[in-house]
Order: sequence, then C-alpha cells, then structure tokens
Amino acid sequence: MTAAARIVNGTKTYGTGDAAVTALRDVNVQFSGAQFTAIMGPSGSGKSTLMHCIAGLDRLTSGDAFIGDTRLADLKDKKLTELRRTEVGFIFQSFNLVPTLTAEENINLPLSLGGRSGDREWIDTVIDTVGLRDRLSHRPNELSGGQQQRVAVARALASRPTIIFADEPTGNLDSNSGSEVLAFMRRAVDEFGQTIVMVTHDANAAATADRVLFLNDGEIVHDMANPTADRILDTMKSIGS
Amino acid sequence: MIKLALRGARANLGRLILTLISVVLGVAFVSGSFVLADSLRSIFNQVSEDAFAGVDAQVRGASNDMNSTNGETPRFNDDVISAIANLPEAEYTEGGLFSFERAYTIDANNEVVRPTGPPVFTGSWSGPSPVSSFRMIEGEPPTGQQVVIDPVQAERGGFVVGQEITVSLPTGEPEVFTLSGTIDFGEGGTGGAFFILFDLPTTQRVLGLPGQIDSVVVSAATGVSPDELVTAISAVLPDNLEAVTGEVVIGEQKEDFGTFINIFGNVLLGFAVVVLFVSTFIINNTFATLVGQRTRMFGLMRSIGASGKQIMQMVFIEAGSIGIAASGLGLVGGLGVASALKRLFSSAGGEFPDGPLEIRTRTIVVVIIVGMGVTLASAILPALRASRVTPLEAFRTGGRASRPLTVRIALGSAVLLLGLVFMAIGMFGNPGGTSATLALIGVGGALTFIGVSMLSAMFAGAVAGFIGTPVAALRGVTGRIARGNASRNPQRTSSTVTALMIGLALISGVAVLTRSILDSFEEVLNESISADLWIFETNQGLEFSGLLVEQLAELPEVDQVAGFSPTAIRIGDEVLTATGFDSTTGTSVVNMGIIDGTAEVGRNGIAILDSVAEERQLAVGDQLSVEFEDGFVTTLNVRGIFDDAAIAGADWLIDRDLSREHRITDAITFAGLTYAEGVDPAVGRAVVEATTAAFPQLSVQDNTEFQEEAEGQIAQLQVVITALLVLCLVVAFFGIVNTMVLAVLERTREIGLLRAVGMTRRQLQSSVRWEAAIISLFGALLGVALGLLLGWAAVIAIPDSFVSKLGIPWGQLVVYIIVGGLLGVVAAWFPARRAARLDVLEAISTQ
Repeated sequence: MTAAARIVNGTKTYGTGDAAVTALRDVNVQFSGAQFTAIMGPSGSGKSTLMHCIAGLDRLTSGDAFIGDTRLADLKDKKLTELRRTEVGFIFQSFNLVPTLTAEENINLPLSLGGRSGDREWIDTVIDTVGLRDRLSHRPNELSGGQQQRVAVARALASRPTIIFADEPTGNLDSNSGSEVLAFMRRAVDEFGQTIVMVTHDANAAATADRVLFLNDGEIVHDMANPTADRILDTMKSIGS
Repeated sequence: MIKLALRGARANLGRLILTLISVVLGVAFVSGSFVLADSLRSIFNQVSEDAFAGVDAQVRGASNDMNSTNGETPRFNDDVISAIANLPEAEYTEGGLFSFERAYTIDANNEVVRPTGPPVFTGSWSGPSPVSSFRMIEGEPPTGQQVVIDPVQAERGGFVVGQEITVSLPTGEPEVFTLSGTIDFGEGGTGGAFFILFDLPTTQRVLGLPGQIDSVVVSAATGVSPDELVTAISAVLPDNLEAVTGEVVIGEQKEDFGTFINIFGNVLLGFAVVVLFVSTFIINNTFATLVGQRTRMFGLMRSIGASGKQIMQMVFIEAGSIGIAASGLGLVGGLGVASALKRLFSSAGGEFPDGPLEIRTRTIVVVIIVGMGVTLASAILPALRASRVTPLEAFRTGGRASRPLTVRIALGSAVLLLGLVFMAIGMFGNPGGTSATLALIGVGGALTFIGVSMLSAMFAGAVAGFIGTPVAALRGVTGRIARGNASRNPQRTSSTVTALMIGLALISGVAVLTRSILDSFEEVLNESISADLWIFETNQGLEFSGLLVEQLAELPEVDQVAGFSPTAIRIGDEVLTATGFDSTTGTSVVNMGIIDGTAEVGRNGIAILDSVAEERQLAVGDQLSVEFEDGFVTTLNVRGIFDDAAIAGADWLIDRDLSREHRITDAITFAGLTYAEGVDPAVGRAVVEATTAAFPQLSVQDNTEFQEEAEGQIAQLQVVITALLVLCLVVAFFGIVNTMVLAVLERTREIGLLRAVGMTRRQLQSSVRWEAAIISLFGALLGVALGLLLGWAAVIAIPDSFVSKLGIPWGQLVVYIIVGGLLGVVAAWFPARRAARLDVLEAISTQ
C-alpha cells in the first residue's frame, strides 16, 4: 500500500546566493495511512516548511512531494487547489474559520467549494463526535476558542481527505480545550482510520501521536515510535544542545 | 512626527492614490470651471474693448425696464444723425440699425447657413471708420444691393467675395445681393456669431424700419473729452434718447457678457461642488478604514509615549499631503477639464470662441483651499477616532468591535430632518431671491444625502443580505461568502456606496423630471391643441415676422391661423409677460381652458390664468391699468379666466393687434393653423410650406413632429446634464475600487484560509466581484429610490404650467440600477485579481 503522503529527496531553499537559507535538506519521509504523526523541532528547524510542502501550500526547490500517488510538482494551481479541497484537511493554529459563514457552512466549506454535498451520514457522525450539534448555526465569533478548533477539526474530517495537516492546533487553547481537540484527533485516527500530521511545540500534545519526527536544521534527526512526553522532552533537549 | 506621517502616507501609497484620484477629479472640475469662465470673460472683454475702441459717445433710446424682452433695442428717427454730425464737438458720426435672427444667407442647396448656438445679426455698416466695430478683411464695404458677412459664414455657405448670394429677409421674399466683402467684429473674430451687414438705407428697408436707427456712435473732435461730447450731444437730443460715453458702453457690454459667463461658470461650479461633495465620502471612508487598520500601531505609539494629539496630527499631515498633491494635480487637470468642457458644449450645440486658457491667482488659491479643505475636513472624524486609541489596544488582537449605531442613527436622523426642512423652505417658502432658494435647496440636498448615508448603515447589512440572497442561491458557497462580506460591515458598505448613491440619485432625479416634463407636455398637446400645423423658428424658438400670419390667412386651404407673441407689460410696478394672440382665431388652434368669460378679449380686453386671477382677486368685469414697453398706458377689461397656461405660455393673454402696436417689432414666436374643411393634410401642408419657404429658418410641424422635436431637445439637455453627473459615478467607481482593495487587504488571512481549504483563484475572484456587485446594487437601488423622491419633489415644486404630472422612466431607472451593479463588478476587477494572486502561505501567516 502506498503511503498517504511522502517526500522524496525534498530540499527547500529560500532566497538565492549568499542570502540563501536552506529550510529542508534532502528530506525523505513517508506518512502511512491511519497513523497520527507529530513533527517537532526548534524554531526554524523546517518543520512548518515540511508540512507546507507536503500539503501543497508550498513547493519544493528539488525533490518530490506526493499525496497518495499524486506528484504535487505536476499540478498547476487550479489542480493543486482542487487536490487540497478533496484530499487534504487543514487545522490551523488560529483563524481557522471564515467569519461570515456559520459553523455548519464552515464544516461543509471544502465540499461546497467543489460543488459537492459529501457523505451526509459521515458528516453527521463527525459533527456528533466533536459535539457541535447545537452550535451549527452559530458564527465563529459566537463560539469559544475550543469550539472553533473543534469546528476546524470537523471541517478537516468532512471530506474524508487522504491526509490532515494540523499546524499547532492547540497552540492558542487552554489545556482543557486543547486536550479535547487532541482527543478528537486521536479518535479520528483510531475510529475512522484518518491520517493526521501535526506540527507542535508541545511535548504533551506530541505524546498523543503514534510517531514523532524530530527536525533540526532542515533534516530529520530522529524518528520516534510510540512516544511519551518524557522521551520527547529528552530528545528535544539532546537536539537543542 | 511629520516624518512618521509621511512614512505612513508612503506605506499606504497605493490606497492613497485611489483616494487622490477622487479628490483630483473634484478639484480639477472646480479649477476647470474657473479657468473656462475666466478665459471666456477675457475673450469677451477683449471683443468689447476692440469693438468700441474708437467710440467716444453713443446715443440710444433711453433705457426702460420693459424693452429688453427680446434683446432688441428701442428704435428712433434717423434725423438725429445730422443734428449730431453738425456739432463742432463731433468728429465722426455714424448711425446704425441692428436686429438679430431676422435675415439669413441661403446656400446653393437652398439651406439656411447658420451657427449652431450664437445668433445671426443683421445690421448696417458704412465701412471702416474710427467708430466702427467692424474691420474689413477682404473686399469692399456694402452699398446698395451689396452685403458683407463674416468669413466663417462665408466658408460654411461656400460663398466667395464677388459672388451673388441669396438672403432671406424678415419682410418676405428673399433677395439676391452681391457679396462685396468679409468682416470681423473687433479684433478677435465674431465669437461664433454670424453677421449680415448692408448699408443703412438697405438695412432699414429689409428690416421694414424705414427712417429708423437704434444707435449713433460718435468720436470726439480733437481736444474734446468724451464727457464734453456727451454733454454737447445731450443738448440736441429729444427726451426719449440718451447719450453715454464709450467707456460706459464697453462697461455695459462687459457686464452683459459677464452675466452670461457668470451664470455659465456658476452652473459648472455647481456640478464641481457635487463632485467634490461626493469625493469627501470617499476620502472619509479611506481614512476611516486606514485608521481602523492601524489601530494596533497607534496603540503601540501611544504606549511608547505619543500623545493622542500627536496621533491626530499624524493623520492630518497624511491628509494634508494628499490635499496638496490633489490640489496641484487638480489645478493642472483643470486645464484638461476646461478644454473637455468646451468640446462637450460644442458638441451639444454651443460654440465658444478660441482663445488661450487662463489660470488666475484666484483660481490657484481657491483650488488649494478647496483641495486641502475637503481632504482635511473629511479626515476630521477618522483623526479624532485615531487620537482616542488607547495604549492598551496595541495588545488587543482580533477584530475591532464595531461601534454601536445608536449615535449614528440619532445624528443621521437629525441631519436628514434638517436637510429636508432646508429643502422644503427652499422649494415652498419664500426665502427671497433665486440664489437664496438655490442655496437652501443645495445645502438641504447635501444634508439629506449625508443623513441618508449615515442612516443607510442601519439597513445596509440587511438590504445587502437580501440582494445577495439570489446570488448565494445561484453561486453556492462563493455567493454566500460574497453576500456575507457585503453585509458584514454595514457602515463601510454604506459609506462606500454613498458616492454612487448620490450620483445615481441626481441622474435618476433628472431622468424622472425629464420624463415628467415630456409626459406633461404630451398631455397638454393632446388636450389643448386643435391646430393641424405649428410654425416656429427651428433653432431656439426665436421670433419671426408676424406678416406670415396674414399671408397664411389668405390661403384657401387654411381655415384659422393664429400667431402668438410674448409682450412685456407693466401692472402696478411689476413687469410681466403677456402673450399677444389673435384672439378671434386663437381658440381654434389652442384650447386654453376658458372657465369664465371668453378668450376673444379684443383690443381693450385681457384674459387671466385662474391661479393668478385668484391671487390678485380679479374677476371677469374688472379693469386693469396696463403699461406697454413704448410707454403707452391703457385700461383693459378682464374678459376671461382660463386654466391652462401651458401652450399660451403666459399668465396673461391680450390681443395681438394691441401687442403689435406697442412692441418694438411685429414679431411672433409661433403660429398655429387649422386646415379648411375637406383639405387633404398632405396638400394643406405643401401649400403652407410653400408660403413659409421665404422664411427658411422656420419649421412646419404637426403635433406628432412637434412632440418628437421637443422630446429630442429635452432629451439632449438631459444627456448633457447626465454627462456632467457621470463624473460623480467616476468618483464613485474609484471609491469602490478603493474599498475593495482595502477589504481584500484586511481579509488577507481569511483569503489565505479559503485558498488553503480549496477555493480556486477563479472562485475567489468571482466572490470578490459578486461582493462588489451586491454593494453597488445596494447603492444603486438607494440612489434610484432617492432619485425618484427628488424627481417627485421637483415636479411638485415646479409650477404646473410647466410640469403637471409625475412621469417615471422605469426603463431608464432599471438601466441605471444595472449600470450601478456593473460599475461594482468592473471596480472589483483589479482588487479581485490582486486577491487571487496572493500567495496562500504568506496570506495565511499574515497577522
């Protein structure tokens, strides 16, 4: 079975000449289906770049990024956008929702952009799972931060994408709301077989994952399976030093 | 602080440039109005000075407030010429006779040669002399059966000096004259007017005024001052004549031209003020948005020690720099506007003499004051708001809470009410004088617009949401997002479309008024006209010889014919206009709706419009003392009361025989006739046209043609006014571009999010354009609705004799609404592209 997403010999350089900064150096990584992966690393280690490049938000300078079997470099903007709409789910740190749309419209957004209604039964399941049934007609500014992030999780799940990317999804939340959101993500992987890649600074959050990748200086320096918070912190320390 | 403000201005350059354009347009229109009026004034002043350069004294009929009705001056016996010439104080004496729109040259195709706007003068000239206003260009002065004309007329008619040309004459049959030469008026051309000049005896003969002149110009003998000359001449003049110095004549000429130019310049300025007014909303909106977007920066500056006053100064300096730039560009742009306006009016029928464009210091000063003033005034509220930003706001994230609307609603209602009261006083009250009325209506209108603009924020969200409903239904989530964005910031939506609203309100108000005038006119034609044919001067409804009525009456094909001539009368100390008409035949061509007595007033009778009779408490059987322009005073019996003044065009009707005897000329403005029984209209018309052929300036039309022609003329006027008002729409256009650019910028992050979760560029563009379309449709609907109100108010305010019923041009209004919507779509083109080109990643990581 092919991986949900992978990068082959991925290098990303910003700028040219003396000012050139290499964010990714010849990275090779695969994300298997139905797995929850966390990416960690100090600021500037390239973890966000890695995520952006596999998610089709940014392009590699050299090497290849794939979502399923699709080579992203082959796609023009329109196809790439459509791929993000159908195959990729996003959860951002903040400002996840379109303020003029209701919670329900936000959840359906990627589907309606493609003119599809999606699998209603599945969407109902998702809505119930994140516990938003009674908040559907609310606008984002009428929801708490935690609720907003749950809507974002529901949106990411709604189209049953090949892979979901989460960029510090709990970074702006208090610990209770944060754990709730992490719990939903965990359930999405365990119960619904979704694939999630999450960038985070938080060792506790990363400990919810099945696997943790450690980046430093644009390279994957460590790949940890079945992580715990303590092991993660130890590894982080060793990278930092 | 200045540096910081200028940095701020530079950082927001793109957005400020759009604002700049809207100010520049208004300022350029102001400067253009001044430049054009000043240039015309200089040209005409020069013409006056040149024309009377050698004249030390002029003799004319003593002025009388009634005899200026038709621009004709009083005539008098030519024997004063010799009396003056015999004075030792007089060096050179020349008598002259002038009239206008009486004779025309006829070209090879038997067509009248005439200018598009200015009149054709017919008069006498005895050749170059110190007192002559004319200059020989080519050939010889006219004697006997000879004529001289101006070179423009010669060129247009294809005439060459020496050739025989046909001239139509007011007294009847055209005659053939030899073109002996061409002339110029003063040094500077003829200002677009045409001249047809004969020697004095021929002029007197062709104008049907034997032995009469209307002026004598005299130059003083050596050592005699103009004042001494005037004194000497006055001693030999009869009572009804007066002598004045050349300087006085030049002054009066300048004043005459000046009055016309002032009116013209003020009308242009009026439009300019409207455009400026509209652009203040754009500037205000831009600054409000810029201040809003920089709240955090202002908060930061406050927290590091800037005072609220300094923040305010910063906004003002930014506004000031825009004002200065706009004034400079506007001044230069004014030159372009002035020449563009010249062209616009030329194409609409007027013709302006050539001459350099003139920028006076006054224009520069006014333009700078206006440009700076408008920009700074528009920035007051945003600057105040900026100064109130607290240091704490530097640390506040997320959207600003929108301010409560209560204050705005209270203030808006007050302003609206005040505006309506002003307008009502202007329209129905008696504020004293036209300028007071206009000022009240103008200020009232401006306040009304401001009030509506403020109040519209109250319902902008709901209405935009409503307009957006079909869009949301048809365009799916793209449409829903467009609709949501259009209604999310009602305050901004309403101030963005204020310019569009005002522009369309004025344009559709004019359209409603035009339709109403035409409908009223049609009603009048259908109800009160029984004439089969109308005869009138084609171009400007000028007067023509009353002889034609007698000639037509003799035709066997014609049953009844009546001529109508406006006549100045004085009742008490008021100078009024009565219509002289052939009272025995008049009622067979026009039904003036006699409700009491008779229309056959006879030589010693008068008929009165019912409303006027009521006001003056006059009834059939009463008597009135009436004075005519020649000083004749008589007592007239009130013989009839009528209720339809529309065709007769006056409140008073007298017999034409009476009017003819006491008017300067026996001329009429129109005649109507009915065919004799059993006459085939085609035959009757052919016979009538054969008779009027001697007067090639006349048009013969039946009711339908008459109506079509009137519609055409009024529609043309509407086109010119609309063309000037379209400038408001141009300003509005930039306003919408501006808002959309700002909105896109403000929503960068949201756009990034939308793109990330799968919105294509095309979908994004479409959503921005629909948003603009919804916003502009809101403005257009509001504008057209206000326009309907304006038009309706105008129909009520204007006397019934002119407009009696409200006509609504639905088709045009619908077109205006669609145009308004399209304006938004086009305005959003660039902002939409810009939004679509945003880099997803950068957009989403914007703070």
